[in-house]
Amino acid sequence: MQQPSWSDSELILRAGRLWTEATWSPFLDAVADGSLPEAAFRRWLAQDYLFARGLTSYQAIALAKAPRDAHRVLIGGLVALDRELEWFENHAERRGIPLGERPHPVCRAYVDFLMRSAYTQPWPVLAGILFGVEASYLEAWSRLTPAGPYAEFIERWSNPAFVNYVSDLAALARRHPHPDAQEAFNQVLVYERDFWRMAWEG
Amino acid sequence: MLHQILWDSCRDLVQACLDHPFVRGLADGTLDPAVFRNYVAQDAFYLRAFMKSYALALARCEDLSAAQAFHELIGGALQEIAMHRDYARSLGLDLGAVRPNPACLAYTDFLLATAWGRSLGEILAAMTPCMRLYAWLGQNLAPRAVPENPYRRWIETYSAPEFEQLAARIESLLDSCATDSPEVHDAYRYAMECELRFFSAVMPGL
Repeated sequence: MQQPSWSDSELILRAGRLWTEATWSPFLDAVADGSLPEAAFRRWLAQDYLFARGLTSYQAIALAKAPRDAHRVLIGGLVALDRELEWFENHAERRGIPLGERPHPVCRAYVDFLMRSAYTQPWPVLAGILFGVEASYLEAWSRLTPAGPYAEFIERWSNPAFVNYVSDLAALARRHPHPDAQEAFNQVLVYERDFWRMAWEG
Repeated sequence: MLHQILWDSCRDLVQACLDHPFVRGLADGTLDPAVFRNYVAQDAFYLRAFMKSYALALARCEDLSAAQAFHELIGGALQEIAMHRDYARSLGLDLGAVRPNPACLAYTDFLLATAWGRSLGEILAAMTPCMRLYAWLGQNLAPRAVPENPYRRWIETYSAPEFEQLAARIESLLDSCATDSPEVHDAYRYAMECELRFFSAVMPGL
């Protein structure tokens, strides 16, 4: 039997318009047409790096709570996150962007939400959250054509390997449902929406 | 003393809290009762996270006198929660049905993420601003606790010597358990920023 597509996830369908709000942004439109102001790009890169560091901690705790059938996907994701952090560090160094800045309140609230959840929520809720984080990113970047000055960035979060990872996370969330997963998934989307807004507006 | 250095470094935020329309409304008794209702509901949600944070801090104590201090502070938090239950009853609020607003969620998630994952010093740095700020606000507002002020009880609670004792207790724990590090400064200041945003979040139009 063929697996349903990640985008048919009940969590996404039940999130309603929050899903659209979390995955469309003037920031991304400006990335697509190459008109993104340098200040917005630098802000996004520095804050997204801090977010990725937080997500790595979140995922490590989620892994400690996860059942055996989730290990390979989560460990593979952690290895990819480590590479992503290095990639951010290289970009930041090349462009002279300091990475030790204080997190923006939106970034901080998002990471604190992840960490509080990691420590207090059961594994199935954590699976729903992780799927929300990665699926919304895939959806947001997949709307763009990998061309122009930010082609490398678009490619990073819309390539087939990332699609496979998100599909695996969708399958995990489907195999491990929980009544509280939707609320946590929706909260992720609220923070995704606010994060794009912060990157665009400051 | 570390607690004094941290407090002094947040004078701008502390003054902004005292000047905040919410606090001014408590002082002169003109605060919209609907705003106070909203505040009590959010504060009740917050206090549960605060109490849990104390418990998680206590779990890190090797020193019995520090554990005793946390035991007393948890008692103080439970008393505050009971006071909110009384407010809720008189205001017809169902505290079980409260959903945190974004500022309250950010603050409680910060407290709990810190309490579960960071050092005892950072936990204390995250928790002290609430206690010291409220004691300071209470003492500043004390002359306004006149019989005709509907928010007299709130002012009396936080200007009481018992509350000052609790604030001094957590500050002395902070001095003995925390080091003067960037992480401690950051946690203290961020918590104070959260306090200011907490007031704004219950006022419509702010």
